[in-house]
Amino acid sequence: MIWLLRDFDLLALLLRALSFSLEALAFGGVFFLLIVARPARLPGEDQAHLRRVASWFALALALTQTALLATTSVELMGSAGLGWQEVASEPFFLAGAVFVLTSVLLFCLLCLAERLAFSVVAMLIALAASVALSHAASRLDHRPLLLALTAAHHLGMAAWIGALAFLLIALRRASDPGIARILARRFSAMAVGSAAVLVLAGAGLAYFYSGSWQGLYGTSYGILLSAKIALTALILTLGASNFFVLRRAATDPTPLLLRLRRFGEAELGLGFTVVLAAASLTAQSPAIDESPQDTLTGRQVVQRMEWRWPSLHTPAFAQLAPPTPLSVAVREAAYTGGSASDANDRAWSDYNHHWAGLVVLAAAALALLSRLPRRRWAQQLGQPWPLLFMGLSVFILMRADPECWPLGPRPFWRSFTAPDVLEHRLFAVLIAAFAIFEWGVQRGWLRWPRARFVFPVLCAAGGALLLTHTHALGEGTGEVFAQLSHTPIAVLGAIAGWSRWLELRTDTGALSAQQPRYQRWAAWIWPVCLILVGMLLLDYRES
Amino acid sequence: MLLKRISLLGLTLSALLLLPQMALAHAHLVSSSPAANSAVHGPDVAIDLKFNSRVEIKGSMITLLLPGGQTHRLTLDSQSNDVNLDARTHLKPGSYTLRWQALSTDGHITRGEIPFGVR
Repeated sequence: MIWLLRDFDLLALLLRALSFSLEALAFGGVFFLLIVARPARLPGEDQAHLRRVASWFALALALTQTALLATTSVELMGSAGLGWQEVASEPFFLAGAVFVLTSVLLFCLLCLAERLAFSVVAMLIALAASVALSHAASRLDHRPLLLALTAAHHLGMAAWIGALAFLLIALRRASDPGIARILARRFSAMAVGSAAVLVLAGAGLAYFYSGSWQGLYGTSYGILLSAKIALTALILTLGASNFFVLRRAATDPTPLLLRLRRFGEAELGLGFTVVLAAASLTAQSPAIDESPQDTLTGRQVVQRMEWRWPSLHTPAFAQLAPPTPLSVAVREAAYTGGSASDANDRAWSDYNHHWAGLVVLAAAALALLSRLPRRRWAQQLGQPWPLLFMGLSVFILMRADPECWPLGPRPFWRSFTAPDVLEHRLFAVLIAAFAIFEWGVQRGWLRWPRARFVFPVLCAAGGALLLTHTHALGEGTGEVFAQLSHTPIAVLGAIAGWSRWLELRTDTGALSAQQPRYQRWAAWIWPVCLILVGMLLLDYRES
Repeated sequence: MLLKRISLLGLTLSALLLLPQMALAHAHLVSSSPAANSAVHGPDVAIDLKFNSRVEIKGSMITLLLPGGQTHRLTLDSQSNDVNLDARTHLKPGSYTLRWQALSTDGHITRGEIPFGVR
């Protein structure tokens, strides 16, 4: 069982992230139907389609919660020796069971009944069960207030980001531009209200869980929360831009609605990055609970962020501490979260990050060069930028985990039991995949029309991955130092991915000067983000 | 349709790649007796773990790693309040490691260990 403990923890977190997303989508569907589609008199068949989509999200939510409940139950029965009846009497199990049943009920109601009143009741009961499984349920102080704020935060997210997915579906199906404009305007009004609820409730939760400004910048929880706030601010900017576009859409709405859809896609993508960040926050201890020795001071943060020239000298492999046998490491990691690194380990890691920074910087500079209009030489020189990422992928595979294959004694497959090793390898695969696809698209041998979207999607996925990246550095501030670099890189990665997406989706094939201004902006944003990522990697250090 | 699949792939990958930070979440150990790396007098040793949030005694456990490397699971006392896990045991002089697992009310499981000595 000890070998599986961390896998079960991983599975539980993964399912929780999926559950958050599906909850936002299922509840968002109910909100959209109730507040936007019905009053806008959307044709019956379109409403039925939206109800069907929302119902499938509700069913997927029920299945995800069932799997989550089963995972936790099996883990408890295996590790604590509990019987089935004992597990079933635990408060989390009861709340989870109610969540599953009401999600199934929501699925049935959305499938069978046109009236939404009962669906709203089922949604509210499911929401109560979801909140009973949050941080707020087990807090000692301000519990009722925290439960209410958590519920408001969930509802705000569903009515804004979850409902946005349904707006995009509805706009895609709408053949009448007049109805499309009414839908967008009604959604816009709902989004303003729900974003306000989301932000106010989030500010309240941040106040109680962070405890102080130091908690916001000096702990892993706070840094992740800051990233969430930054991404939310960006989504709000995109949303505000759409809001003002709609004000101009009274006369000829078609081109503006198309722009609104494209911005909405980027908004939705960034929105679900925020949802995933929220899920990874559930695996962190609130900042207010961290001890002073595990919290960075403002001075430490400033010192850490000061620019230092990168070190391109690595300790020899033989200088690293010999790895413990995997069976011992697995057992220890289950209880300690990993072991603290020594000076050689940190120098090894710094060297890896600095070389990665050089590669990303060079690739970004070439990508930027290839954007220069009317400079054929620059475009040809910059074109091979994806190939540099292939090299980075191999570099990560070789050096990221010196205790594992190919450098160390731990075998390739068994070392997957360490989540940070698994993460590094997934990084290598992600980077190689988007490099191959992008290179194939540029050279013209990959003719699949949607292949060009692989780079932005995987780049954004890599950003989301980094929001949760840990190095199993155990207790202390080492992990927080690492997060000071990783988290801004994650945010920049997500922005780079979705700005590239926006560039491609708004590409009309026109000459540069005739392209819409926002498309030209998007074309410059992502290489600049990659340059900043390279700079942050070059300034990386774990102390 | 293909575009939807790519988007779905992106979201799925993002979700798949979310990984946990172990032993640092939810039921967070606020204080313990014995404290980490401390030495206590034996043979009667009272163990008292205090958490930052409510914990469920049924899903929680305390195990001792004995000087010889064997493990011994302790019987938990009934809870004096919602945030404590208590146990009593008899220990000979030596080095021990206390390993705990806590189930918080919201269903999250956390673990940790406390090395200590008995004089």
